[in-house]
Amino acid sequence: MDKQNRPKNLNLFTIRLPINAIVSIMHRMSGMALFLMIPALLWALNASVQSAQTYVDLNLVLQHWLVKLLLIALLWAFFHHFYAGLRHLAMDVHWMTTLQKARLSSRLVLVLVAISVILFAVKIW
Amino acid sequence: MLIELLTKRYPGMRLWLAQRLSAVYMAAYLLLLALLVLIKQPQAYQGWHTLMSAWWWRVLTLLFFVALIMHAWLGVRDVFKDYIFNLRLRAVLQVLVDVLLVLYLGWAVKILWSI
Repeated sequence: MDKQNRPKNLNLFTIRLPINAIVSIMHRMSGMALFLMIPALLWALNASVQSAQTYVDLNLVLQHWLVKLLLIALLWAFFHHFYAGLRHLAMDVHWMTTLQKARLSSRLVLVLVAISVILFAVKIW
Repeated sequence: MLIELLTKRYPGMRLWLAQRLSAVYMAAYLLLLALLVLIKQPQAYQGWHTLMSAWWWRVLTLLFFVALIMHAWLGVRDVFKDYIFNLRLRAVLQVLVDVLLVLYLGWAVKILWSI
C-alpha cells in the first residue's frame, strides 16, 4: 500500500477515545480554560486585597448563584489540570507507564477530580 | 543525562523542563496557601490582608505568577502548534497571547506592590 492511499479514519463520531486520551485532551482543554480565566483571577485578587470595601463587594459577587456555578466549572478545570498534571509528572519519572497502570491512573484522576469538585460545590453552597 | 539534554543542542528540553518546574512550583505554592488558610483561619478583610501582605509571601506570590505566565505561554504555544495550521494566523495569535501574558504579569506586580 503506498503512502498516498493509506486508509485513514478521522470521523469524530466513530472514533472512540480510550480513557487515557480523554484524560489527556481534558488536560489541554482545562489548561486553555484556566489560561482564559487569568484576568478574572487577577481581578479577584486585586479586589480581595485593595480595600475593605472591595473585599466586601467581591464577597457579594461570589454569593451570586450564577457566579457560584462559574466558580464550580472553573474549579473543575483546575482540579482536572492539577491531578492530570501530577499524572503526567509521574509518567515523566517513569511511574505507572504500562498500559494497564496508565488506565488505572486515568481512572484515579477522574475519581479524584469528581470528589474534589463535589466537596468544593458542597462547601460553597 | 538530564544535564546533557539541557545543553544548546536540545533547546526544546529547557522549555520542557521549564514547564515541569513551573508546574511543581505552582502546586507547592497552592498547597502552602491552603495550609496557611487552614492554620491561620484569616477573618474578614483584615485577616486576609495580613496574610497576603507579608513581604516573603508577596515574593512567593510573585514567583507564582511568573511560573503561571511561563506555564501558560508554553501550554498555549503547544496547543497553537498542534491545531492552527495557517502559519500567519498562528503567528498573529501567538503575539497576541504574548502581549496579554506580559500585561498580566505587569498587573500582578502592580497588585502585589500596592498591597
